[in-house]
Amino acid sequence: MLSRVAAHLYWMSRYLERAENMARILDVTQSLAMLDRSADSGGAMTPIVITEAQAEFAATNLPATYENVVAFLAWDRQHPSSIRNCIESTRENARAVRGSITSEMWENINDTWIAFQEKSRSINPLMTGNEFFEWVKERSHLFRGITFATARRDQPYHFVRLGTFIERADNTARILNVKYADEAPDSFEETEVDKETDYYRLSAVLRSVSALEAYRDTYRDVIDARRVAEIMIFDPKLPRSLRYCMDEATAVIDELPRASSRVTRRIVSEINAKLRYGTIDEVLDYGLKRYLADFLLDMVKLGNSVNAAYMETH
Amino acid sequence: MTMHAITPPPAHHFDEMLVTAGAPERGQSQSQSQSAGGQSQVQSQGTRAHYAAYNDWLQSSPEQTLSQRRAQADLLFRRIGITFTVYGDEGGTERLIPSDVIPRIITADEWSYLEKGLTQRVTAINRFLADIYHDQAILKAGLIPREQIEGNAQFQTKMVGVKVPHDTYVSITGVDIVRNNDGKYYVLEDNLRVPSGVSYMLMNRKMMMRLFPELFLRQTVRPVEHYPALLLQTLKEATDIDNPTVVLLTPGRFNSAYFEHTFLAQQMGVELVEGQDLFVKDDYVYMRTTSGPQRVDVMYRRLDDVFLDPLAFRPDSVLGVPGLFNAYVKGNIVICNAIGTGVADDKSIYPYVPDMIKFYLDEDPILNNVPTYQCRKPADLSYVLANMKDLVVKEVHGAGGYGMLVGPAATAKEVEDFAAVVKANPSNYIAQPTLSLSSCPTFVESGIAPRHIDLRPFVLTGREVRMVPGGLTRVALREGSLVVNSSQGGGTKDTWVLGDADDGRGDAAALAKTSEGN
Repeated sequence: MLSRVAAHLYWMSRYLERAENMARILDVTQSLAMLDRSADSGGAMTPIVITEAQAEFAATNLPATYENVVAFLAWDRQHPSSIRNCIESTRENARAVRGSITSEMWENINDTWIAFQEKSRSINPLMTGNEFFEWVKERSHLFRGITFATARRDQPYHFVRLGTFIERADNTARILNVKYADEAPDSFEETEVDKETDYYRLSAVLRSVSALEAYRDTYRDVIDARRVAEIMIFDPKLPRSLRYCMDEATAVIDELPRASSRVTRRIVSEINAKLRYGTIDEVLDYGLKRYLADFLLDMVKLGNSVNAAYMETH
Repeated sequence: MTMHAITPPPAHHFDEMLVTAGAPERGQSQSQSQSAGGQSQVQSQGTRAHYAAYNDWLQSSPEQTLSQRRAQADLLFRRIGITFTVYGDEGGTERLIPSDVIPRIITADEWSYLEKGLTQRVTAINRFLADIYHDQAILKAGLIPREQIEGNAQFQTKMVGVKVPHDTYVSITGVDIVRNNDGKYYVLEDNLRVPSGVSYMLMNRKMMMRLFPELFLRQTVRPVEHYPALLLQTLKEATDIDNPTVVLLTPGRFNSAYFEHTFLAQQMGVELVEGQDLFVKDDYVYMRTTSGPQRVDVMYRRLDDVFLDPLAFRPDSVLGVPGLFNAYVKGNIVICNAIGTGVADDKSIYPYVPDMIKFYLDEDPILNNVPTYQCRKPADLSYVLANMKDLVVKEVHGAGGYGMLVGPAATAKEVEDFAAVVKANPSNYIAQPTLSLSSCPTFVESGIAPRHIDLRPFVLTGREVRMVPGGLTRVALREGSLVVNSSQGGGTKDTWVLGDADDGRGDAAALAKTSEGN
C-alpha cells in the first residue's frame, strides 16, 4: 500500500475519534454544568484544558463561559481540533483515499459531512445541546461498525484501527490527567464530604469514557478516585482504557509489513509492558500526574515512529 | 392521470427522439457509407421508432415520475460524492454535474457505423503519431506541410526517435461527435491527451438502472459497465512485461476530475498515485509503499505532458516526478497516453485526419470531418473572407473559445474587424460552417423540452481497438445553448445503444427475426 494512503487512513481515523472524544467531553461537561449551578469559569474551562486549547481559546477574547467554550470546541473554524474541523479533516482524508476504503465507509463519512453542514446551518452554536453530541458519537460508532462489517482485514483496515487506538489512548490519558492534575497524591485519602461532592465528578469522568457500568460490575462498590484511575489505566477489557488501547495497537502493528517496523514494534511493546505488568499502587507512588505525562509523551513517540516507518513520502 | 407533456423541437432541429412536421428526415442526405446505419422508421405520432418503447413507458407513467426520480438521483449522486471541483473563493467547492433522467438512445446500426469509423480514425491517428516522430513519411509525401508539425507547440521534439511500445501513442481517446441538422454525424475533435468524462458515463448508467429498472426490462440496452476491465486490459497490453504493476497518476484531489481518477483506479484495482508517491532511481520508477519501494511498469497519467517531469519539461511543476522522462526514454516505464500526442488533436492538424486515413490505411474515411477552410490556402482564405458571417473562424492553436469569431452571432463591425486580423496572419486561422447540434428531449424546469447534445465515445487501443457501446452524452441545459461543457451549465445523459433485436423494429419484428433463426 502507498505510504501516503496509509497516512490518510491513519489521520482520517484519528480525526473521527477526536471528534467523538470531543463530543464525549462536551456532553459530560454539560451534564456537570447542569448539576453544579454555581459552576464558576474554572469548571467551564475544563474541556479547554483537557484538549490543550488554552492558547486558541484565549485568541478568541471570549469570556470563559460554558456556552462560549462549547461553541468554540464544537464549531470554531480556527481551532484545528473543533468538531467541525475534525469532521472536515476526516472527510478530506477519506476523499483522498476513497478508492482504498469500501464504498460503504466512504458514503458514511460523506453523509456525515453533508449532514454536519445542515446542522451547522440549523444549530445555534451557543445552544449546542446533548442531541448534537449524541449524533457525533453515533456517527463515529456507525463508521466503526461499517468498517468492522465491510473492510477486508488487510493494511487499510490496520491503519484505520491504529489511528483509532492511539487517538483514544491519548484522550483517556488527558481526561484522567485533568481530573487529578492539580491534586496532591494524598487527595486519594478523601474525607466524607469530599466524597460526596466528588461522586458526580468521578462518575462523569467514567461516563465520558463509557466506563460507568464497567466500574459497577468490576468493583460493586462506591466510586472512588483510586479505582477510577485503576480501571481507566489498567482494565484489559475496557475498550477505552490505556491497557486495552495499547493491546490493540500492539496487535495491529504486529500485522503491518515487517520490513520497516522493528523500532515501532519495540516502542509499542515497551509501552504495553508497562501497562500489562504495572499496578495502581506503583503509579500512585510514582505520581499519577508524572505517569500520565510520561504516557502522553510515549504516544507522541509512538506516533512519530509509525509515521517514520510507514507514512513518509520523501 | 396526467401525462408527461413534451415540448416539440423547432422545425430546423434534428431531434433524436421526435420528428416534427417539416423537420429534416434522418438519413435524407446520408453519405454512402452511413446510409446503412441511419434509417429508422418514424411512427405516426412523430416519435422515432427506436424511442417507441421509451415513449410508451413515459406516456403510461404519472407526471410526477420523472421529478421524483430525479430527486432520488440527485440525492444518490451527492451521497456517493460524484462531483467535480469548481475553483472559487474557498479554494474549490464541489458541485454535482446534473444528470438528466431521459436517455439518449442510439440504434444498433448507427452504433456499428460509428464504431467502425472510430476504429479507423484512431488507428490512423496512431500511425500518424508514430510516423511524425520517426520517418515522417507523410511530410516527405507532401501531404502536410512540415512547418505545420514542427512549428506546433504540441510537437514534442524530445520525443523524436523515442520508441513507444507497439507504436501505440494513444491508448485512450475521447472523440467528440455531433449530429448536424442534416442528420449526419461529424467528428468535432479528437481528444488525444487526457480525455475525461468516462466515469459519468458509468455512473449515469448505474443510476438509471437503479431508478428505472423497468425500462431496462423493456428493451436490450447494451452494457457499458465493463469499461474499467477493458481499460486495465489496454494498459497491461501496453507493455511486454508479464503481470505489470499499473498505476494511475492524478494531480490530486483538488483537480476537477479527481472523482474520476479515484473511481477508475478503484474499479481497475490499481494504485492511485500522486507525483510525491513516486521516485526515480537508476532510471526505474518506484512508488513508496508501506513495504518499501515498489517498481511501476505502466502509468495511466491524468496529467498534461508539461507537468510530468520538472527535469524534462516545466521546471516549476510539483505534480510530476523528477527523472520520469529519462526512465520513459529508456523503456523502463510505459506512459499512457504517450508524451507528445497533443500535436494530433490540434485544430491545425484536424483537417488532415481524412488524408491520414487514406495515406496510412488506404481506405476512405468512414466518419465525416467538419469541412474546414485553412486560411493559409489562398482559395480558402478568399472564401472565408467572403462568407465570414456564416462561418466559425478559429485560431489554430487557440483553446477555450478565445480568439474566435462566431459569424452568425457577430455584428457587421465585429466581422469586419476579425477579417482584418485574419488577413494579417492567414495561416493562424481556420474556419468551419456553423453546425446545428441535434437535440434530445430533456427534463428541465419547464418540463420536457429539447436541448442540444453531443457524444463522446471512449476508444481504447491495446493490441486491438476496443470500446464499450455508446459514450458520454453531454447536454446544454440552457434553452438554445450549444455549450455542453460542465463548467458552463452542461449536464449529461445516459447513452443507450440498443441491442440488435431492439433496434427500433418493435417486438413483432424482433420476434419474426428470432423465428427465422438468425
